[in-house]
Amino acid sequence: MFSAFDQIFTPENLLFLLKGALISLGIAGLSLLFGLILGILGASAKISKNVVLRAIGNVYVEVIRGTPMLLQIMIIFNVVPIIITQLTGQVFRMNYYLIGVIAMSINSGAYTTELIRSGINGVDKGQWEACETLGLSRWQTMKLVVLPQAFKRIVPPLVSEFITLIKDSSLISTIGAVELMNSARAIGNQYYEFMSPYCLAAVYYLVMTLTISFIAKKIERKLAESD
Amino acid sequence: MIKVEHIVKQFNKLKAVNDVSLEIKKGEIVCLIGPSGSGKSTVLRCINGLEIPEEGQIYIENQLFNSNNKEEYTKLRSKMGFVFQHFNLFPNMTVLENLTLAPIQVMKKTPEEAQKIACQYLERVGLLEKKDEYPNKLSGGQKQRVAIARSLCMNPEIMLFDEPTSALDPEMVIEVLEVMQELAKEGMTMIVVTHEMGFARTVADRVIFLEDGQIIEESQSEEFFSNPKTERAKIFLNKVMH
Repeated sequence: MFSAFDQIFTPENLLFLLKGALISLGIAGLSLLFGLILGILGASAKISKNVVLRAIGNVYVEVIRGTPMLLQIMIIFNVVPIIITQLTGQVFRMNYYLIGVIAMSINSGAYTTELIRSGINGVDKGQWEACETLGLSRWQTMKLVVLPQAFKRIVPPLVSEFITLIKDSSLISTIGAVELMNSARAIGNQYYEFMSPYCLAAVYYLVMTLTISFIAKKIERKLAESD
Repeated sequence: MIKVEHIVKQFNKLKAVNDVSLEIKKGEIVCLIGPSGSGKSTVLRCINGLEIPEEGQIYIENQLFNSNNKEEYTKLRSKMGFVFQHFNLFPNMTVLENLTLAPIQVMKKTPEEAQKIACQYLERVGLLEKKDEYPNKLSGGQKQRVAIARSLCMNPEIMLFDEPTSALDPEMVIEVLEVMQELAKEGMTMIVVTHEMGFARTVADRVIFLEDGQIIEESQSEEFFSNPKTERAKIFLNKVMH
């Protein structure tokens, strides 16, 4: 099963996998960041008083959460080059990483929308009423009272979202991006042995996810102190 | 000072407040009492605009309290302070920050000015030494005293209390009532929804008894307790005075 382990377990190959792991981490990190921006927009739309905005927010969340991420990646992979070619008039040179980040950001944004929305809704409505009686505007209430409280509820699930993104970034190996998953496959192809590189990749994934959840637990404990 | 005319407020099909009219004069202390679900809290919330009645009018200092006229509405609203059953302090801020938030944001006071006033009110409710604590470190009675001080920082002319002691442990009720009594002595106009019959009897000028969304009886407080006129008030008092 691990017939070529000795040949594969070399500093060069480990470094090659590390590079892949860092790319996975980078793609997940960027997707989390842009997803957060989309999530803030999405949550604002979903809690707004405007019916059209609310509908847009709902459709976005339901469509993205109701379809597989792999399918979304494939659609973006096919659609984005066409749009860019149409806009610029030049043939778009495919960048797999960019496509990956776009697809995963859109995906993550839907989940983050719900995280933020439920974080805001989870703040006791008495807080809104107290602000109302003190004469604060809706926006002041949101900014100074509700969001700081919602933030605490949002951080822990946002960290889980980050972990999910790191794992799901393996999906963009299907469109040719050389992240951790594809790096492992490349090594496998080279030595005609896949178990060793895949298991090594698993270790890299675990180091990333476990480290992040360890940090998350620390943050959570810190945030809980002022409750 | 406050005039309520024939207000009706429905929740779904239920008429929580059904044709209530009342008048409160400047400096008067009025207690709204009645069984749970009688609509007393809803009346109070309508006066402050936390609920908008479907019918009827409310006048604050002879001016129509109407949410469509934003500017006037906000101005009238700022004359009223509101104290909640569950305090509704901001858990993410210290006691002092709780008190200075609205004066700084709404009245555009400088932080120094706001803090000075906040400290004066904290001193009055006996909690100046807690100014840098977070609300979760306070007892229920202390939280409610902070909430009262927070309202006072906005310099209201009328204070509305919605069951201010109902969420408190029995031994903490008295410290909150004392603060309210103090306010009453200083001539603050107060409307208090309460189950504290002792407070209603000794501090209030007038008692309004509600049941099923309607005013059943309204009289001077001493008279209400010693000689209730209606059968329903008698039954209620028999149940709560023991």
